[in-house]
Amino acid sequence: MSADPPGCGAIPSDPPHGGAARLEDLLAHPLLWRAGHAARQPVWSSGFARLDEALPGGGWPRSGLIEVLPVRFGVGELKLLLPALAALTTRSEARWSAWVAPPLSPFTPALVAAGIDLSRLLIVRAQDKECLWALEQALGSGACDSGLAWARHALPRQIRRLHLAAQRGSALGVLFRPRASAREASAAMLRLVVEPLERGVRVTLLKSRGGARGALDLTWGGTYPGAGGCP
Amino acid sequence: MRARRTIDLFARGDERPSVRLEQSLPTRGHERASRAGERLPRPAAPQPQVARGNGIPPPAGGAARAAPTELWLGLHLAGAAGQCAPQGLQRLAMRALRFTPRVSLVPPDGLLLEVHASLRLFGGVEGLQHALRRECADLAIAGSLAFAPTPLAALAAARGECVLVLQDAARLIGSLAPLPLRVLRWPQEVLDRLASIGVRTIGQVLRLPRAGFAQRFGATRLADLDRLTGRAPDPRERFEAPVRFRCRRELPCESASHGQLTAALAPLIEALGRFLEARQCGVLALECRLWHRHAEPTRCVLRLVDPLADAARLTELLGERLRMLTLPEPAHTCELRAGEPVPRALCSSGLWQSGEHGGLPEARGSAFIERLRARLGPEAVQGLAVVPDHRPEAAWRVTEPGACAPSAIASGDFAAARPLWLLPVPRPLRQRGGLPRHRGALRLESEPERIETGWWDGHDIERDYYEAVDVYGRRLWLFRERAAPHRWFLQGVFA
Repeated sequence: MSADPPGCGAIPSDPPHGGAARLEDLLAHPLLWRAGHAARQPVWSSGFARLDEALPGGGWPRSGLIEVLPVRFGVGELKLLLPALAALTTRSEARWSAWVAPPLSPFTPALVAAGIDLSRLLIVRAQDKECLWALEQALGSGACDSGLAWARHALPRQIRRLHLAAQRGSALGVLFRPRASAREASAAMLRLVVEPLERGVRVTLLKSRGGARGALDLTWGGTYPGAGGCP
Repeated sequence: MRARRTIDLFARGDERPSVRLEQSLPTRGHERASRAGERLPRPAAPQPQVARGNGIPPPAGGAARAAPTELWLGLHLAGAAGQCAPQGLQRLAMRALRFTPRVSLVPPDGLLLEVHASLRLFGGVEGLQHALRRECADLAIAGSLAFAPTPLAALAAARGECVLVLQDAARLIGSLAPLPLRVLRWPQEVLDRLASIGVRTIGQVLRLPRAGFAQRFGATRLADLDRLTGRAPDPRERFEAPVRFRCRRELPCESASHGQLTAALAPLIEALGRFLEARQCGVLALECRLWHRHAEPTRCVLRLVDPLADAARLTELLGERLRMLTLPEPAHTCELRAGEPVPRALCSSGLWQSGEHGGLPEARGSAFIERLRARLGPEAVQGLAVVPDHRPEAAWRVTEPGACAPSAIASGDFAAARPLWLLPVPRPLRQRGGLPRHRGALRLESEPERIETGWWDGHDIERDYYEAVDVYGRRLWLFRERAAPHRWFLQGVFA
């Protein structure tokens, strides 16, 4: 944010011809934020081309909290995130990926098949009220690339704390909550509802800071869970 | 006697030893020895003397001589050649430090105390004997005691179970004379050779000619005899009790609030940090005790993975522990007790901060894991690993975080898809018309995959696995037992 891209310095007093092009240059200044456009921020590719197009900035945010609201547990919400998690854990300077209070045991052969490096994976068992604390520790410590938590209840101010912690530790926080909590306010950067389809999921973006809203259908490629092919 | 002792303790050796020799020489045994001509014991030549009052071993070459007014208490632990002896000896030595600071261990079963200066305080020889026997009984140790002016004599008398209470150096040799030679713990071969010439007691061996004895049995044996009779110095290494940190502090007011307790503990932890820094050590266990007015003290124990000395991190971890605590009532005093200091590997810190490009993620990572474990328990944070097994229950296990080596399993190793979630225990499903139901009808989607293995360890399975879709559109992983009654189970969820 602090470094000026070339050509975006002080506004020249005498605008030359080709004013439209100059205007685009000016509007591309990183300190200028326009409503309705994606704020510039680093992202991780989701692994699905159509989803990347719809997400602000072109992928999951690198630092910040997102909320995933599946209509029921196990409709494909984790498979949606696996390509990004696989890319995160196999980087050369990968940090931890903490999974807080998963409702069942993650089945490691399937995770390995999806390309996740298990040596970067942390499973944190926590009771309901400790779950959000553990996620905040994970996100804010700076030791995690991503923190996933399965929480039943979360208050708006708790979600705000989690979001701030994720920004402090530059981590991607993912909070899985029931579909019913879509009515509540939330400070998450992204909120998406996941519904099952015959061979894929329908993702509805309820809230997308600086991005488009709406629904889109994704189809799993191949027979593998998490072999996230692009439709 | 008292005046001479002060000289011994504080004056560096000059005239003192010669006085002592003249006093102790005319003993009964020695008179007999001198009558027989050139006999044991007689020193080769007068040596320069250094008084030892401060317990520092003398430099090599310089001779230290036992002060003439020393009184040694020898303690021999009976039947202590067993395996529990070292701990018993150590614990007894710790207790014996109450009587005198000059305690020496003679492994495996001997203990020596220099008690001359403590006689008056503990009620003389009888009082000391009584007190020490009580300590032995407390620790369930059986032992025999003896008092003598030289350490070796005290120990030999205790080993010989000879009730020797001898404060006077002049009568030492005479009192030792009837003891059998085995109490000196010489090699059996030496004892056999001595027995073959009819020498079986200390009195007899002291009567042998010095030069010949040294030639036949070695100069070290002669030196042993000199130390026994007080002719040669017998410096003993002092036993040092292991140092531990323990500090107590009263709270400004009775409180049960977490913030006030951590604030009150902070100076104690800082003192602990300085204590450990100075010794280049760390602690593995830390206990915090909180005293209440009526209730029993609350104890809060913190165990660490690596030796730790950093006050900030200790404060943080102990704070998490205290947060989990429910106090029966407000506390008025807190105390910090550290476990034994453990040598700590001092590592140099990196140029880059962790998280920066080039920085190490591991250091911060372990701090974060320890914080989670301090609050949630040691089992709460785990890693996962793959086990090469076809049985789904046995195909994974928990590990230490990050302990899993990069897996060699490629994505094509399985014939069919595997679910992302596994139920801890397969859940039996209801059936209707031979087909499984789970909150409504299930639609079987795939060809069955047969898994039939594990006969070698008693957990053999014979199952046909199916993928199924339930009414909510979720994909589930079911199996049907091949053996009668062909029950259906739910084992996994494709998420």
